[in-house]
Amino acid sequence: MQVLNIRPAQLPPECEDLRAQVRSFLSDALADYPREERARNWSGYSAEFSRKLGERGWIGMTWPKRYGGCERSMLERYVVLEELLAAGAPVSAHWVADRQSGPLLIRYSPDVLAPRLVPKIVRGECFFCIGMSEPDSGSDLASIRTRAVRDGDDWVINGRKVWTSSAHKAHYMIALVRTAAPSEKRYVGMSQFLVDMRTPGLIVRPIINQLGEHEFNEVTFDDVRVPHENLIGEEGDGWNQVTTELTFERAGPERYMSSTQLMLEMLDAADASNPHHTLVLGRLVAQYATLRQMSLGVSGMLAAGQNPSMAAAAVKDQGALLEQAIPDLAHELFGGRVPPDSTLAKVQQHLVVANPSFSLRGGTREILRGILAKGMGLR
Amino acid sequence: MNDEKMIQESAARLFADAAQDLTLNERAEAGEFPAALWTQIEESGFQLSLVSSDQGFGLMPEQALPIFAELGRYRIPTPLAETAIGLALLDAAGQSLPVGPGTVIDARVGTELSLASSGATISGRAQNVPWARHARWAVAQLDNGDLAYVELADAKGVSITPGRDTAGMPSDTISFESAIVRAVLPAPAFAVREPLRSLGALVHSTMMTGAMQWVLEQAIQYANDRVQFGRPIGKNQALQQALAQAAGDVATARMASLIAGQDFSLTDAERECRVPFGVAVAKVCCGEAGTRVAAVGHQVLGAIGFTREHALHTATRRLWAWREAYGADAWWAQRLGETAIRAGSTAFWTAVAERQFRTA
Repeated sequence: MQVLNIRPAQLPPECEDLRAQVRSFLSDALADYPREERARNWSGYSAEFSRKLGERGWIGMTWPKRYGGCERSMLERYVVLEELLAAGAPVSAHWVADRQSGPLLIRYSPDVLAPRLVPKIVRGECFFCIGMSEPDSGSDLASIRTRAVRDGDDWVINGRKVWTSSAHKAHYMIALVRTAAPSEKRYVGMSQFLVDMRTPGLIVRPIINQLGEHEFNEVTFDDVRVPHENLIGEEGDGWNQVTTELTFERAGPERYMSSTQLMLEMLDAADASNPHHTLVLGRLVAQYATLRQMSLGVSGMLAAGQNPSMAAAAVKDQGALLEQAIPDLAHELFGGRVPPDSTLAKVQQHLVVANPSFSLRGGTREILRGILAKGMGLR
Repeated sequence: MNDEKMIQESAARLFADAAQDLTLNERAEAGEFPAALWTQIEESGFQLSLVSSDQGFGLMPEQALPIFAELGRYRIPTPLAETAIGLALLDAAGQSLPVGPGTVIDARVGTELSLASSGATISGRAQNVPWARHARWAVAQLDNGDLAYVELADAKGVSITPGRDTAGMPSDTISFESAIVRAVLPAPAFAVREPLRSLGALVHSTMMTGAMQWVLEQAIQYANDRVQFGRPIGKNQALQQALAQAAGDVATARMASLIAGQDFSLTDAERECRVPFGVAVAKVCCGEAGTRVAAVGHQVLGAIGFTREHALHTATRRLWAWREAYGADAWWAQRLGETAIRAGSTAFWTAVAERQFRTA
């Protein structure tokens, strides 16, 4: 019995040309982007940068040409993503739309919503947020209470979403809501809707995170009226859509690369003749190298049309362990021993505080391991 | 089915049959050489699997390595790994290949060997040499980078003191007093530095992935079978979480060893930088994962797993022995870390993406 069979994926040769193009673009576009900002990794936000990426065809690059996509391979997309993350580029504006909202619209509303919105996503002009979590529904997503009720040609939504990243900057939300009362079968009766963030009755309030930053929001729906065509796919298909999205959400290189800027700072501060430094950093290099191949392998499985939900959960679990080890190891090697105004100290400070989120977002460590345990035949 | 798959499956069948004999490891630990099994292995030719020329099967390392994952999985007590490594080294240096079991002598603390100035004889002491007492020949790493090919069986000036490794397998001390050297394999015959340690680390990393996989399977099975408080202990969430992490560890270790195998060559100069990178990554990741998976396996199996009545120890003790063999994970990590620090931050991401630090 092979519990998790993740095979190495080979990058086709054209990927390396593309990689060179991305690097060359980034060295220009980010020439003045400071390392402290790069430490934010994929949480960094710049609508202008997203538009520049869109101009180059690096958003929605695997999507059909009829929506403005480039029909490139998933592995080519993987190369662009990993180069963006390695450079700490500010990608959060378009990240969600590129990763999951765009593919969702193309798959479930190919003739109505996708033609209208996807070309704007591709141009880096249209940003999305995800309305899944609620005040009483975190890991237990099936317990959501936000409801949509049919009213003529519209649906009327009432309820509340929380921890909604970038809701205050997004143009649209994909909201998971109940369209039928909860029953014995907990995963039945949920649907997803496209919601324009300017719709009357929708209120976005900031929730300041422990970094002191405004990324999260609370979004309340007070008789928010959306047209029937904004129902994504079939009524009641929400859970199925969400679990597919979560595989995409968990499979990418952003799930192991969040602490990359600190890794770079540590390498520059370290002493190659110090055995403690070489031991700690050598282990980290090995883990990076392997997680990169794991993450790439999962993308290869997606590209081959497989459903790597177990593999994605495992890579996210292992990746978060690496991301979270780095700030503590930076503390171990350099804490209190570098000037407080040094880039290392600033990058470290940011990541130490950001760190707890890495094993919470996109499915907590415990939920991921629960998925794995179930797949292994436990439970 | 392709050739490599056939070879892997025939190895798995042979090892699975051999592992039916539950006293196999016990007898090997008591000092008995599994002669009949060794004959079967030699007749199948698995000792030639890492030989890349037409003296062997002509397989790429990545095609042959699955045999060693099976060897680890079935915990077969033979000198197959060392024999195959030694033959691959001899072949790469253009030597004709000896028959019978052999071994390799890694440069390590406790091993000091010196070649006579003529190159015709060797003197000194080698410690922790796997299966030396049963080996007919050995390939030894010398301080100057060359390798020495020596006779062991019935050879003058060779005396062997038996010892055992953590797994209870033969791990002997050899004293050489002007013992005859059949050939010196010069360092330039290999495209990589430290070919013996590198291939040894790669093969043992791969063996660890097989042993880890088996430990994980035993633990899952036991967790589902063992009932306490009226339900299988596998319902316990703490235990599920530990097993899930272990599954991730096994997958990680396997990926590291597969990639290292793809990038490995003893003789291809173009891979000069990829080989040490891949091997270091594999030995670090397999060592780390092996440590954790062995711990989880024992925690899940409880008291029975700590006894010789259960076979768990045949895998976990191997994991503890192999994580140290051919450079412990910490040794490889330090070397990788030193290279990475010298290369600096600007080289880091390129190295990860290219699977090498370009040192040229």
